[in-house]
Amino acid sequence: MKKVLIGALVFGIIATQAFAADTIKIAITGPFSGGSAPMGASMRDGAKLAISEINAAGGISIQGKKMKFDVIERDDEAKNERGALIAQELASMDGLSGVIGTVNTGVCLSGDRHLQEKGITKIITPAAGSASMTQWSKAGVKDLSIFRFAAHDGIQSAMVVEEAINLKFKKVALFYDSTNYGISGRDDMLEQIKKQGNKLEVVASEKFNIGDKDMTAQLIKVKAANAQAILIWGIGPELAAVSNGMAKIGMKVPLIGGWPLSMSNYVENAGKNGNGTLMPQTFIEEPITPRIKAFIDAYHKAYNVKQIPSPVSAAQGYDAVYIFAAAVKQAQSTDTKKIKEALEDLKEPVKGVIAYWVHPYSKWDPANEQTHEAFRRQQTVMGMVKDGRVVFSSKADRQRIIKDETAPKGK
Amino acid sequence: MSPSAIAQLIVSGALMGLVYALVAYGFSLTYSTSKSINFGQGVLVMVSAFCSLTLLNVGVPYWLMVPLGLGIGALLGLFVERAAVRLALEQKSEGWILLTIILGLLGFSVAENIWGRDDRPFPTPLPSESVRILGVSISPLEISVAVGVFAVMGLIELFKRKALLGKAFEAVSTDRDAAELMGVSATRTVMLSYALSGMVAAMAGILVSPITTVGPTLGSALVLKAFSVAVVAGLDSGFGVVLVGMCLGSLESLTSFYVGSGWREAPGLILLILALAVRPTGVFGKAMIRKV
Repeated sequence: MKKVLIGALVFGIIATQAFAADTIKIAITGPFSGGSAPMGASMRDGAKLAISEINAAGGISIQGKKMKFDVIERDDEAKNERGALIAQELASMDGLSGVIGTVNTGVCLSGDRHLQEKGITKIITPAAGSASMTQWSKAGVKDLSIFRFAAHDGIQSAMVVEEAINLKFKKVALFYDSTNYGISGRDDMLEQIKKQGNKLEVVASEKFNIGDKDMTAQLIKVKAANAQAILIWGIGPELAAVSNGMAKIGMKVPLIGGWPLSMSNYVENAGKNGNGTLMPQTFIEEPITPRIKAFIDAYHKAYNVKQIPSPVSAAQGYDAVYIFAAAVKQAQSTDTKKIKEALEDLKEPVKGVIAYWVHPYSKWDPANEQTHEAFRRQQTVMGMVKDGRVVFSSKADRQRIIKDETAPKGK
Repeated sequence: MSPSAIAQLIVSGALMGLVYALVAYGFSLTYSTSKSINFGQGVLVMVSAFCSLTLLNVGVPYWLMVPLGLGIGALLGLFVERAAVRLALEQKSEGWILLTIILGLLGFSVAENIWGRDDRPFPTPLPSESVRILGVSISPLEISVAVGVFAVMGLIELFKRKALLGKAFEAVSTDRDAAELMGVSATRTVMLSYALSGMVAAMAGILVSPITTVGPTLGSALVLKAFSVAVVAGLDSGFGVVLVGMCLGSLESLTSFYVGSGWREAPGLILLILALAVRPTGVFGKAMIRKV
């Protein structure tokens, strides 16, 4: 009996070594430490959850052979120079099938060109501003191996303005930080107000700097102008300072803005003052359908947490892997160029946790970045901060997602 | 603009200014005994705030955390005195300037590595609903800042004037050598002043953190403004820093309202330059004549 066991063990070791070369090598990169870590780590964990599910089911059958995913992890620390180094390393790696990840726009701008040069397929998720894709259309690249899997700023600003109109507001104030991100957000919102019929009057437009803690002066202007809502574009800690400042001067109007309002450094730092804040989301951590419940439960169990640090990032990482896996299956190859071609023309819909993805990407057209963008308006919902969590703000969004799962609709 | 909005700006600015005053008071405490100041005072504020937050996170109740936090601040102050100031003073050199700056930088990177770079909320038992007084909203946190600042400064001033050990402050401040001859240990007095200064920094951290959140950069902005306040008021002015601190706070608030939020740091810097150019001893400072 003992000999049989040892024999089996030895055979097992030889067998796994023999098959080790027959894996699908996929790299996951992102900030797993530092300020953007909640997003990066949640994305990584979501992606690895999907990979372990696929591997547990035996992997993907490629030309009659079952192949499993092999993960390479790299922490870019949200630093551009590290991102560039990692991209160079990955670009020169043998047999790499693809890359998933990146949170920070700057990291995309400094690193992705190394991958593009070698034609390595990358799906950018969970975030990164519009510039990560527009850089390719501006350069007039004919054949692009970079895809994006995130609700871009354009969708978000459209939703923010739409929400303010739906809530019957007439006078709004714009608040934005003085970085490129904040200013382009302000411009997007102004454009959307015009596009959606000039139904909102901008009574105040105020900016703040990164690191500002005291927003009293700007808020008093907004209060004096009788704004009914603040449309805001910025990142976590300053957004929290705005909410806390509003509570201080006894101002009660809703804050509507980009998705950083759902991050823990806003939700925690604003505490009770953050309740009622609205922002676009791609995923809400509420177990409203069996599929979503299974994902949330699996995540909580695998990583021993009660709450996903950044649910949006986790779900996007998870779905990105399934889309990538579908492309591998269709290409019947681990060759990154063939996977790219498959991604641009996915025949079979992919059942994800965010949505039912029907033909998410198409052949790259430098005149239209949308060809390599998966998200459209219908894959996003409005989230609302409630007691330290992000929940659905409207019943309609909730119902739509439940309905989508029973009768899937593509974009 | 309505008068109540302007009043609101002035009041919330002045209350923030009290924190600058408290940090500035830490400067004047050590200056009065040793003519030296800790340029890393902002880091002391930040590190004590982080230590206090850690105490709260391990389950120490808030009201016990306050004295413990102050104790940590005092210990840090003593450490600064021993590591950066004492030898330089004994050698009558200006080495403490560089050493306190270096110690500050070191503390900053240590804090970044221990607690990370993120801003974190600092819990407080106070309610967050503001009260309205004559059309001006004031939050309980801001009231706690005012109460805390005056309590700490009042107690220390009382100690300096009434207690025997406190009088040693005055003695060493006036004439270090004569005080030594009268049996006052100058070294001990300087140590005490650094401990008190560290305590004051910790108090500032505990008071301001619930408003601004705690992060490694907590002290950086504070210390620059506190320095302006200390110099404009005069480094040996005592309560003068309170008045100047409140003025600077409201001035900043008004500037960011009328000129633009990007300019809020400007008044402090302009006042600092003006003070150094026109009245180096400060508005409330004593012009000293050194007899040779």
